[in-house]
Amino acid sequence: MTNLIDINPSLIEYAHRYLQRFMTITIDELKMLLSYCEVRQVEKRTILVKEGEVDNYLNMVVKGLIMKYVRVKKSDMILQLATEGHVIHSEISFLTRTPSMVFVETLEPTIMVSLTYDKMEEALDKFPQGERLGRLILTGMYVKKEESRYYRLLKSPRERFLDYLNAHPHMLQRVPQKYLASYLNIKPETFSRMKHLVAKQ
Amino acid sequence: MNNLLTFLNQFIKVSPEEFAELIAWTEPRQFEKKTILTKPGEVEEYMYFITSGLVRKYFLKKDQEIITHIVKEGGILGSGESFLTGEPSRYFVETLEPTTAFAISRYKLEEMYGSSKKWEKLGRVITTQYFLVQEIRLMDNIRFSTRERFVKFMKENTDLIQRVPQKYLASYLNIKPETFSRLKHLMNPK
Repeated sequence: MTNLIDINPSLIEYAHRYLQRFMTITIDELKMLLSYCEVRQVEKRTILVKEGEVDNYLNMVVKGLIMKYVRVKKSDMILQLATEGHVIHSEISFLTRTPSMVFVETLEPTIMVSLTYDKMEEALDKFPQGERLGRLILTGMYVKKEESRYYRLLKSPRERFLDYLNAHPHMLQRVPQKYLASYLNIKPETFSRMKHLVAKQ
Repeated sequence: MNNLLTFLNQFIKVSPEEFAELIAWTEPRQFEKKTILTKPGEVEEYMYFITSGLVRKYFLKKDQEIITHIVKEGGILGSGESFLTGEPSRYFVETLEPTTAFAISRYKLEEMYGSSKKWEKLGRVITTQYFLVQEIRLMDNIRFSTRERFVKFMKENTDLIQRVPQKYLASYLNIKPETFSRLKHLMNPK
């Protein structure tokens, strides 16, 4: 199990940076936590979870890109785009063990560290301060969701467009435009028209 | 007090002694209706478990109030992100009815979590629940039509129609006030 760390040197770095946001954690503790996880490597356009399936994994992207979307009347609405260092899964399904309302799918060949529900329970119980870490991670997820909801309600499409692409300029290259438009809740035509706003800086 | 015990027992078994211990971390508070508990720019110092009454949380978009939460007895409210991060609140928290609550301060809550693994676990489980409620509501907003959201909410919260001004319910459900009025016939008993 420990040799999973050799797969990608960024793994330790991303996982450490992620967890350090919540509490101080030593590299040894991190390695102990990683022993509950598995590394998964998949092709692009792999569907990790379908609507109706119970999501059994919490994933952190080590390399690649994963999206989460919901199918509403045949059209897909993108809810999350996760790149290196981000955590993504079907949260409600994973936490309540109920069928997922969303799809989780890779957009690029992806390497991720994944934690199953059972292993999470084990880690919460056995890892020193596991409960605390679990609570702080959830708090972080909650705050992030609230913020994105607030900005969605508060900001205009133009502001959402500019804020996002200024913060994540590389995403224009990595993600098809129609997905970005959907994620930002902007009409595709409007998105195309606004592209000149971030062109050639 | 009973509804707090009922609330806790959904998550974790709490003995009478443990319940007394938990109550000791909190402060009983009582507010008139229309009391503003938190304003934008202030750091939220408390989370409130509502034992009786009604509280809303909202922010201003230009001059328009956008209501994100309406919570009655048996629920928890406060300016959650501010409370959890220590950053200034973007929201108002205001009572809509005379309200009684158990309030717990950020400081006391941290102390409580640190005092035993059981309370730490309770904290994790309630945080999970809080997160899930928010996430499920977000998904409902995406998956269901205005009409479906209206019907679902009214079915689950019959009492709130009497207790909350219509324009607040409309804002909470993100439905235009005119549309809300038009949808009201759907609630008439058949």
